[in-house]
Amino acid sequence: MKSFSYAKVATAEEAAGLLKQRNTRLIAGGTDLLGLMKERLIEPDRLVDVNGIAQLRGITATKENFRVGALTTLAELAAHQATPLIIKEALADAATPQLRNMATVGGNLVQRNRCWYFRSAEHRCWLKGGPRCLAVDGDNRYHAIYGEGECRQVTPSDLAPALIALDATVVMRTDEGEDSLPLAQLYVAPTARHRREHAVGDDDLILAVRIGGDALRRHATYLKFMERATWQFAVVSVAASARLVEGRAQDVRIVAGAVANIPWRVKAAEDLLAGEKIDDARALAVAERFVRDARPLRDNAYKVAVLRELVRRAVLRLKD
Amino acid sequence: MRIHLTVNGLEREADVWEGSSLLTALREDLGLPGSKNACEQGECGSCSVLLDDQLLCSCLVLAAAAEGHRIRTVEDLGKDERLHPVQRAFVDAGAVQCGFCTPGFIVASYALLRDNPEPSEAEIREALSGNLCRCTGYGKIIEAVRRASREMYR
Amino acid sequence: MPSARVVKNRTEFEGKIYEELALVQGADIPAWSADAELRHVGRSRLRVDGPQRVSGRARYTTDLMLPGMLHARVVRSPHPHARVIRVDAKRALALAGVRSVVDRTSAPELFDEEVHYVGAPVAVVVGETEEIAADAAHLVEIEYESLPFVVDLEEAIADRTRVQRKESYSRGDARRGFREADIVVDARYTTSTQLHNCLEPHGAVAQWDGERLTLWESTQAMFDVRKGVAKAIRARLDDVRVICDYMGGGFGSKLGHGHYSEIAAVLAKRLGRPIRCVMDRREENLVTGNRSATVQRVRVGATKDGKLTALEHVAWSGTGTEDGWVASTTGPSNGLYEVANVRSEQFLVLTNTGPFSAFRAPGYVEGTFALESAMDELADKLALDPLALRRKNYAKLDPQSGKHYSLKRLDQCYSRGAELAGWSRRKAGGTAGRHAYLRRGMGVSTQVWGGGGGPPAYATIHLNADGTAIVRAGLQDIGSGTKTAIAQIAAEELSLPLERVRLSIGETDAPYGPASGGSMTTASLGPAVRLAAVDVRRQLLEVAAGLMEVRASEIHLTDGHAVAGRGGKKLALDEVFSKLQNYTVIGRGSRHPNPEDVRLRSFGAHFAEVEVDIRTGAVRVLKIVAVHQIGRIVNPLNAKSQVEGGVTQALGYAVSEGRVLDRLSGHVMNANLEDYKIPTVKDVPDIVVEFVPDLDRRANNLGGIGLGEPPIIPTAAAIANAVANACGARVRTLPITPARVLEALRR
Repeated sequence: MKSFSYAKVATAEEAAGLLKQRNTRLIAGGTDLLGLMKERLIEPDRLVDVNGIAQLRGITATKENFRVGALTTLAELAAHQATPLIIKEALADAATPQLRNMATVGGNLVQRNRCWYFRSAEHRCWLKGGPRCLAVDGDNRYHAIYGEGECRQVTPSDLAPALIALDATVVMRTDEGEDSLPLAQLYVAPTARHRREHAVGDDDLILAVRIGGDALRRHATYLKFMERATWQFAVVSVAASARLVEGRAQDVRIVAGAVANIPWRVKAAEDLLAGEKIDDARALAVAERFVRDARPLRDNAYKVAVLRELVRRAVLRLKD
Repeated sequence: MRIHLTVNGLEREADVWEGSSLLTALREDLGLPGSKNACEQGECGSCSVLLDDQLLCSCLVLAAAAEGHRIRTVEDLGKDERLHPVQRAFVDAGAVQCGFCTPGFIVASYALLRDNPEPSEAEIREALSGNLCRCTGYGKIIEAVRRASREMYR
Repeated sequence: MPSARVVKNRTEFEGKIYEELALVQGADIPAWSADAELRHVGRSRLRVDGPQRVSGRARYTTDLMLPGMLHARVVRSPHPHARVIRVDAKRALALAGVRSVVDRTSAPELFDEEVHYVGAPVAVVVGETEEIAADAAHLVEIEYESLPFVVDLEEAIADRTRVQRKESYSRGDARRGFREADIVVDARYTTSTQLHNCLEPHGAVAQWDGERLTLWESTQAMFDVRKGVAKAIRARLDDVRVICDYMGGGFGSKLGHGHYSEIAAVLAKRLGRPIRCVMDRREENLVTGNRSATVQRVRVGATKDGKLTALEHVAWSGTGTEDGWVASTTGPSNGLYEVANVRSEQFLVLTNTGPFSAFRAPGYVEGTFALESAMDELADKLALDPLALRRKNYAKLDPQSGKHYSLKRLDQCYSRGAELAGWSRRKAGGTAGRHAYLRRGMGVSTQVWGGGGGPPAYATIHLNADGTAIVRAGLQDIGSGTKTAIAQIAAEELSLPLERVRLSIGETDAPYGPASGGSMTTASLGPAVRLAAVDVRRQLLEVAAGLMEVRASEIHLTDGHAVAGRGGKKLALDEVFSKLQNYTVIGRGSRHPNPEDVRLRSFGAHFAEVEVDIRTGAVRVLKIVAVHQIGRIVNPLNAKSQVEGGVTQALGYAVSEGRVLDRLSGHVMNANLEDYKIPTVKDVPDIVVEFVPDLDRRANNLGGIGLGEPPIIPTAAAIANAVANACGARVRTLPITPARVLEALRR
């Protein structure tokens, strides 16, 4: 790790000011940031420790609004009684108990991807400014099965698909004050000019994540597939939600994690379920439609089969 | 930089480099090598300590960030020859082989039983899922936590 | 004093037989009989060093902080094959706190001009702290000339210059055997590279005092470290003292000295300060050894009723850049079954990857997976119960030597295991799970291994004025509980409470002791310790006899007392101790050779029950039953723990562990504990462990042999066979990942 200077701040304003300095990063839980720094994937000159900003911590919940501060830890979110079940499901298999006690909601949403070429300091992959994606001809067992872009990394967060299935918005601090945008828009497929999997910059401060009342009342579930019982980033994950009106699904959201550069939705698959009763045949049809356009790489065709099955099971679980 | 923190009930201070982890500070500057360094990436739990009563990996906490906080390490659980019931249970159940992961497991088990006096097997497995062991195969570790629970709360 | 003599001994170590001369003293004694009333041996005793290990007080090599100590970090090659053209350390040396940077120019004894794998050492940076050294290591600028390389095993096998035939074996006429067969299974199996990932990293701390080097090292074999380091730095054996107090796992990867030992020793001398050189987790996965990946072809021929007629096993093991030895993958095929016609060949294959090393039953783990999978494929073709097929070809005599075994109770392992596993519930084609997509199945597999141990191994016991005994031996405790076993053996013969036996071990200024490896530590050292204790007891009885005014031959030790005859005079040992003032009774013992006329081998059987999700390919192992035969168990509690641990490592090997190499760059992509997936507490199933109670009285004076490696040998095949039983998916590649199960289901 390269040397850096370190400052603690007590307010968002203070943080925002310091973050405008060159090569400055904020540190909250640190679980991803310190890993990146140890690998020398980033070498900031200054760290701004935001853990002292009390207003960014904690959960406010009413019937119509669920708001979680960006500095709330995953463990705190998982333990809160008002936290939607799908979020608890997503967090149950996220990382480890120790890491959940450390990692924050804001950090989880903007953590960098786990592609092993990206994470290796000795590989200059496309996302890090190299000429091409090394996963395309390399070992791509965990990489993307959707998407057109050059980079084949996949979204690592368990929280993101679950939150997006509940139409969550993310509250950001801007120079003008607060601004919010749909969480889904935080994730972008990297382009040659923006080689980054998030729409936000390093000097942006996430304040909170919000879920509205309609979404809070939906049936929702999260399924994660790993190759050991715990402590693996998702090989495939699926978050699904729907409102059930007289047994028929409305406002269907099916969001897959770890299959593309961004949390992945297939509108045609959601439409197949909209207005329909959920049964085995329908669930299978939805799942088939979801994976129809998947384009696996050499080593990851199995992810298509796993995804199909997870979508099917998630849809069926919406009945309950 | 100079940091001040409470370690195992004592006010301590240390001169650390900005990039030092809490684990390094504990092991090298504060003379507490009980917490082990096995991965330095938060992947194995060998460095588990309590920071303000929260179980976490001290290798992924900057020493600087621990300024003003309360730390408890494995060294604080059993004083002198009197082992804490959790430690006693690990010995009695045969839950220790090489012992390198053990301090982390002890601290994680202690944290579990503090919050949940009579955990189910599933809860034990969940609570210890951030600690990797390469020798024992975990069965006797689960048994040790059950024993400790009986010993502490019976 | 007993006279010393030189004897010839055959010892089996890591699947190979070595013949060596050894010096022994006095005469051996027979093993305790089955009805001997033992108070310590054979009973579960808590680890004598348990309190140290649970309290954080146990000091491991990595915990050592010497005054003035400097830290060494190795700069490693990012190229799988290259020539080092130039090393520029200017920027590194300019960093505050950096004390030295050495490379091939300044320390030719430490580095080669050509590097042959990613992670090969190119330079070393020494700094005042670990962090400074690590930081500076990134500032060393190195110019390389890239050279051609191959990291993929299959690709290397195709290149004849990379392949060496190391072992071949045959008996009978395999070709004729296959002609006589009604059914032949011919299958190809592959296994992945398994990484040890001991929790305590490899490392050493060196300190010089004049011409004498003290080296603290996390090692399984202090004496081999001493020998290796002394040779490397051209010192006299006696000028190197190796200390290993506590060590955090080795599994075969810490049997010899490491490059880090040489770095620490050489640089400590040059800089005049202690040097610590400890690996980080990435280095653990790159440079400290591994279990070879293999490609194996197994052909088994049998008659319609299941009698084997021929067996052929050819194995290619990727040893990385290690071209000295290769593990015996074909060992199980050579020696497990009664089959008249056998042919096997073992090839070593060089790739540009980190050198392999011993890993808990090297070769036998890989080979047993292939052999025991093939046996099930054969049973399937013959429509025979897999267990019946194994029993049908049971070898009563050792098929290789024709000798009797000192003990063989594999049949009991099979029958007891079948009972514990509920084998009668097994159905051809598996059984249904809770959902239509869940299938359940059962599988069995067999273990054979050596582990008889042997000389040289020596111990002395000092009995002191306070009635405590100190066992002194050149022993390191890898964590398996050898210390406790040794203390139990000494306490048994001395009739002392266990807490009165102390151990003085963990350094080479002690009687020579064996490595903690090859399942042979207790079986090698234990008998010597027992003889040393017998020697002390003899002397003690003489003293007691004098005090009791009877002849020494008329009294015996029992329950802490010297007792004359039946119901005769009794004298508490404590009284004997108190009557004497300052004294030391010194007993000596050495390990005697193994019997020549019998073969010492351990046997076992594992049964696995699994559930397979046929839609996702996920395999969940529900239960493992492990029944082993090693003769006498010194400490059942620790022995069970040893089996559970071995099964768990095997479980990882079977379903989730495997080094991932990038073929294009030659890098290990999963060199950490998140991507390299060892089992977690949530992965481990119910593990049922039992031992066959019969003693192996011919083996040595304990009546038992080693257990370290047997439990890792058969599990993977049992799991593969259970998966095949559950859903018909025969996965011939380890680990059995969801991707491979789905692929096998499609076939």
